[in-house]
Amino acid sequence: MAPRASHFAPRAKQVIYLFMHGGPSHVDLFDPKPDLVRYAGQPLPDSFGQVMTRRKVAANPLLPPVRPFRPRGESGIEISDFLPHTAGCADELCVIRSCHGDSVNHPQSVYQMNTGTVLMGKPSLGSWVSYGLGTENRNLPAFVVMPDPGGGVKGGPPAWGNGFLPATFQGTTVRPGENPILHLRPQEGLSGDRQRRILDFAGQRNRDHLAVRGFDSELSARIDAYELAFRMQSAAPDLVDLSGETQETLELYGVGERATNEFGTRCLLARRMIERGVRFVQLYSGDTVGWDAHSDVAKNHGRYCKATDRPVAGLLKDLRRRGLLDETLVIWGGEFGRMPMSEQGKGRDHNPWGYTVWMAGGGVKGGMTYGSTDAVGLRAAGDKVHIHDLHATILHLLGLDHESLTYFHNGRDERLTDVAGHVVTDILA
Amino acid sequence: MVGSDQPLLRMLVGMVLLVAICGTGLATDSPGELPITEADRDYWAFHPIESPVVPAVEDPGWCRTPIDFFVLARLEQAGLEPVEAAGREALLRRVTFDLTGLPPTPAERAAFLEDDSDEAWETVVERLLASPAYGERWAQHWLDLVRFAETDGFEHDKVRPQAWRYRDWVIEALNADVPYDEFIAWQLAGDLLAPDDPQAQIATGFLLCGPDMPDINLKQERRHNFLNDMTANVGEVLMGLQFGCARCHDHKADPISQFDFYRLRAFFEPIDLFTDHPLPGMVKDDKAVRARVVRNGKGQSDSFLWIRGDFRRKGPRVQPAFPRVVNPGETEVAIDSGAADRRLALVDWLTDQGNPLTARVIVNRVWQHHFGTGLSPTPSDFGLMGIEPSHSELLDWLARDLMEHGWSLKRLHRQIVMSSVYRLASHPTGDSGPDATWNRLVEADPDNELLGRSPRRRLEAEAIRDAMLAASGRLNLKRGGPGVRPPLPPEVVVTLLKNQWPVTKDAAEHNRRSIYLFVRRNLRFPFLEVFDKPDTNLSCSVRSETTIAPQALHLLNSEFSLECARQLAARLESIGGSEQERIEQCWQLVLGRQPDAAELAAAAAFLDAGEGDDAWTDLCLAMFNLNEFVYLD
Repeated sequence: MAPRASHFAPRAKQVIYLFMHGGPSHVDLFDPKPDLVRYAGQPLPDSFGQVMTRRKVAANPLLPPVRPFRPRGESGIEISDFLPHTAGCADELCVIRSCHGDSVNHPQSVYQMNTGTVLMGKPSLGSWVSYGLGTENRNLPAFVVMPDPGGGVKGGPPAWGNGFLPATFQGTTVRPGENPILHLRPQEGLSGDRQRRILDFAGQRNRDHLAVRGFDSELSARIDAYELAFRMQSAAPDLVDLSGETQETLELYGVGERATNEFGTRCLLARRMIERGVRFVQLYSGDTVGWDAHSDVAKNHGRYCKATDRPVAGLLKDLRRRGLLDETLVIWGGEFGRMPMSEQGKGRDHNPWGYTVWMAGGGVKGGMTYGSTDAVGLRAAGDKVHIHDLHATILHLLGLDHESLTYFHNGRDERLTDVAGHVVTDILA
Repeated sequence: MVGSDQPLLRMLVGMVLLVAICGTGLATDSPGELPITEADRDYWAFHPIESPVVPAVEDPGWCRTPIDFFVLARLEQAGLEPVEAAGREALLRRVTFDLTGLPPTPAERAAFLEDDSDEAWETVVERLLASPAYGERWAQHWLDLVRFAETDGFEHDKVRPQAWRYRDWVIEALNADVPYDEFIAWQLAGDLLAPDDPQAQIATGFLLCGPDMPDINLKQERRHNFLNDMTANVGEVLMGLQFGCARCHDHKADPISQFDFYRLRAFFEPIDLFTDHPLPGMVKDDKAVRARVVRNGKGQSDSFLWIRGDFRRKGPRVQPAFPRVVNPGETEVAIDSGAADRRLALVDWLTDQGNPLTARVIVNRVWQHHFGTGLSPTPSDFGLMGIEPSHSELLDWLARDLMEHGWSLKRLHRQIVMSSVYRLASHPTGDSGPDATWNRLVEADPDNELLGRSPRRRLEAEAIRDAMLAASGRLNLKRGGPGVRPPLPPEVVVTLLKNQWPVTKDAAEHNRRSIYLFVRRNLRFPFLEVFDKPDTNLSCSVRSETTIAPQALHLLNSEFSLECARQLAARLESIGGSEQERIEQCWQLVLGRQPDAAELAAAAAFLDAGEGDDAWTDLCLAMFNLNEFVYLD
């Protein structure tokens, strides 16, 4: 999978996608709504019409933001006290407040955010990007996923699946620590010279086998794959070996501190992958429940913000100072946002009708907000950005035309954006 | 066994006589629907299946079956000749994997090599077709198409505890050579054809195989998506047409309108989709066994077109009708007796010998799995975006032959594997390298469309795993039953919800054939996934064949590989004999052939340089990593 030319000059070469699984609350983090404070405790006015919700919360009283918002940085973007470190990077952020999708359910929305459709089994954004651009590093996968060690995503690994694209383009799961890639390490006692001997013996037989089948490029590709696998065995452990990082850098990401160590380590690994030419890195924050704050936003988001805020800000700062942020698109968001109405008193239900995703770096304007939700943050209202539009924009930033990035499958030129999608040109730097 | 009573089926279908021929009515073009023109119908896949005459050739002595005449005629026209036949060892390995998904055993190899009678090949073929492993192999091809899995998918990926019964039904039906028309009939309408036969109910699992979202808020959305997927699947699997493209709008290329799509869906509209029903006569622990099988419900037979495929936007009412482009008489289905028998009408139409699609589609699929590529390389798309068959007369001849001989798939396999075409070499076999015949062929026909040589193929994921188990002597040949869950690496388990992979307690079960591994929609079994086992959310008619580094990591470093290598080494040791004899046995078990002198010497040198038992394990591990092991000549 050699690098492939983009359709036009790219603004970003690679992507780090920070996926907040479970659905972070835009009205408590990035989308301040004075009316939500004003009408706190009252039901949603009739003028909002019928609302489809997951858990019949439409008639519940409105819940004000559980942490105060403040203007941040020179841009004055309002971000709540849940995220003090991210707030410190406000001038890097392009906060899109008018995102919307089509399902109130987790797996459907996880699939849609990743693959464009609420149905299972379509190729994910990372797969499309690897298909479109290939990789800059032949010793590592083009598309890497780092799941939350706490447990599975709702909807499971199809969220980073290749769908009908060849398996080459599926997300490879990489974990911090001893064994970053499945079966990367030889079994006990089989490493080093012993493995090399096995590879050499097999290599010689394979070359003899190829000699009478010289016309066959697939057989020689398989010989190459073994050499790549051999190189990966040293490249991947080197990737996850943080011993060369300075103490200052580790602290920037919160590595070594209890609350932030885990996510911070993965954010740091994301930077190390980007440095090595991995095309698309996706990190999941949130175990099976994750940011799904049905019963208590303060408690749930308190925990997840604490775990992720400093690492995310550290990542942005580190990319900036290393000159990597301009060519790296960082995306932050969940599968949906949360309702302005309360659930069980202090919690909030799913809200796919309007929510926030932010981007930073690679070709987007920093220090801006784009689009808006209605007065209480229920629905996207101004400059609406559907998931298809988000995908079209991300591909555009990578130099890919979402209408031309197609794969012929079962009689149809399939696209990530199906038959929709508009590039949000106002946010392009 | 179901399907042994074909006359009963014919009689039942005959009796219901659902199809009323008439020239007017509801199935004709609706407002906003383009009429079907003669030009639309003037397309190879919609033409009636011909009865082509077997062509004359210059070298009839080369031909063993009618297939050979068709293929040789085209080669001769192009001024080419086929290469010579493959060697006997290569042939045995090829046909054994093809028909059973397993390698030949050393005893089978010896028996074939020693049999110098004229019937030696036929003996092998008959033995393989009679083996239960045949159904275990060919069922997987079918399960790929129907999106078989044992869970729902989506958030909870809930287990369908009886889903394995459908998998077993397919295996048994293929082993019993249930005629293909009945094979379809049971799957589309078993509940109507034999309400008291549990196997007939289980067969309808075909319609219910796909992913489902039981937790979705809106029940009508769940039902709508499920019915649309079912309709699309029936269209692509049985008719080889991409019906699914027409769920939101008229098909962009094919003469399939959105109305056609929803008329086809109307055949299934009466089904009560999401209820488990008792299987007649099947009791376990004093309770009726309940399974997800098809039953018609009450009062839900009204059918509509859904505007842009959106379940919130109801369009005009539609009646069940066959796709207009392959229904020139504008046959419509009488529905005044309610909904009960719609699916029988569909069966009758699909299995009518005048249907241009059904037989062509299945013949092409069977051909595909013998040659790597179908006569048409787009087996689930015979529409305008698909690719025309390279040998359309041969396809028709085989389709006709299938129908005229009781739709027997085993007969079709025989036609194919007994041919000279099937037995050609896949690479130059002479000592002096490629000869003139070979070079001319490769130059004139680089893609091997004319079939002058045999294609080289990679083994499928299941065959690789099964062959490793077989070679190491660990393969457990137990048949049927609930899906098995061997241990998974912990880092894979954490990507699942809690308790989604309870490991099967009996470790001997872990070594069963891959088709019996539990199929979780949200997690493909890693070893199989890495070798391109398809996602079970989409119908897969042609698997990808990727070559990626993680395959090498699995074969080199996984516990499974090492265990197979160890067991194979132990097996070789237990055979005893000289080192050379054991090396020979190793080659036979892994590659199905005798090593040559250079290989013997290399293996001996490898063993010499290694340490004790480890050296043998290492040799065996290396053998599983050979190209020759994962490819078929």
